Amino acid sequence: MEETQEITLLETLDHLLDRGVVIAGEATISIGDVDLLYLGLNVVLANVDTMARGGKR
Amino acid sequence: MRRLIVGVHLQREDVEPIAEAIPARGLFLSGVPAADEQPLADRDLLIRVAAIRAALLERATFIAIRYGFAVTGAEEAEAKCAGRADAWRARLVAHRGEVEMTLKAGAAAPADRPDRREFSKGADYLRALRDAAHHIEVDPAFRVALERELIPLAARSRWSRDAASLELALLVRRDAVDAVNAAGERLRASFPAVPFLLSGPWPLEVFADDDHE
Repeated sequence: MEETQEITLLETLDHLLDRGVVIAGEATISIGDVDLLYLGLNVVLANVDTMARGGKR
Repeated sequence: MRRLIVGVHLQREDVEPIAEAIPARGLFLSGVPAADEQPLADRDLLIRVAAIRAALLERATFIAIRYGFAVTGAEEAEAKCAGRADAWRARLVAHRGEVEMTLKAGAAAPADRPDRREFSKGADYLRALRDAAHHIEVDPAFRVALERELIPLAARSRWSRDAASLELALLVRRDAVDAVNAAGERLRASFPAVPFLLSGPWPLEVFADDDHE
């Protein structure tokens, strides 16, 4: 996957997983889902790492 | 079978046939069917929902719902949206012609994240996290350029930051998206050493509720 596509996908997933309105009573369920939280953290970390590499070119 | 909810929409035509339109207090939730046993973190499911989210935004602006919220039917949707429907409707009407864009800039000198094990009280740890984020700053000249080039193109803007980056959320008219991207290219040419990512358009995320008025 090209770097531009990779950044676009990571940013899209970051917005999907970490943005928007949290419906009352659902936040706990989402946070309690270990797989989802783990994936979300990795997306954010990968995104920051990709940004840093892009800025050094 | 449950329906993962992508967003809140003003009209049924804003949702169908891209997703399933679930009525809720005069509004419509966009639902993506998913088997009960399918994990939320399933890669294919995430990619599918992300693609549907993008297609829905092309149709009309909507209020984004955080990934993971699911309902089994209209009755549950009605119940869970009961207290917010009026505010959502007003927001959707007010911002129908607008979308969000975000700019993330890497910190000039990222702060060290506080070590949780060094704090005996959770409140102290949270305070240290907030303080670490508060000291994040990007190149001042870059920030001035953002305020000159991007913010005038937006109806509203909002800064936020974490321990490693500064983020500017913009609410822009759909017909101003190209101008925002062009301004981003000018910034990239003027500040080649500043790592930043300008992305969008996105649905109403930061400007989706009243907390940021």
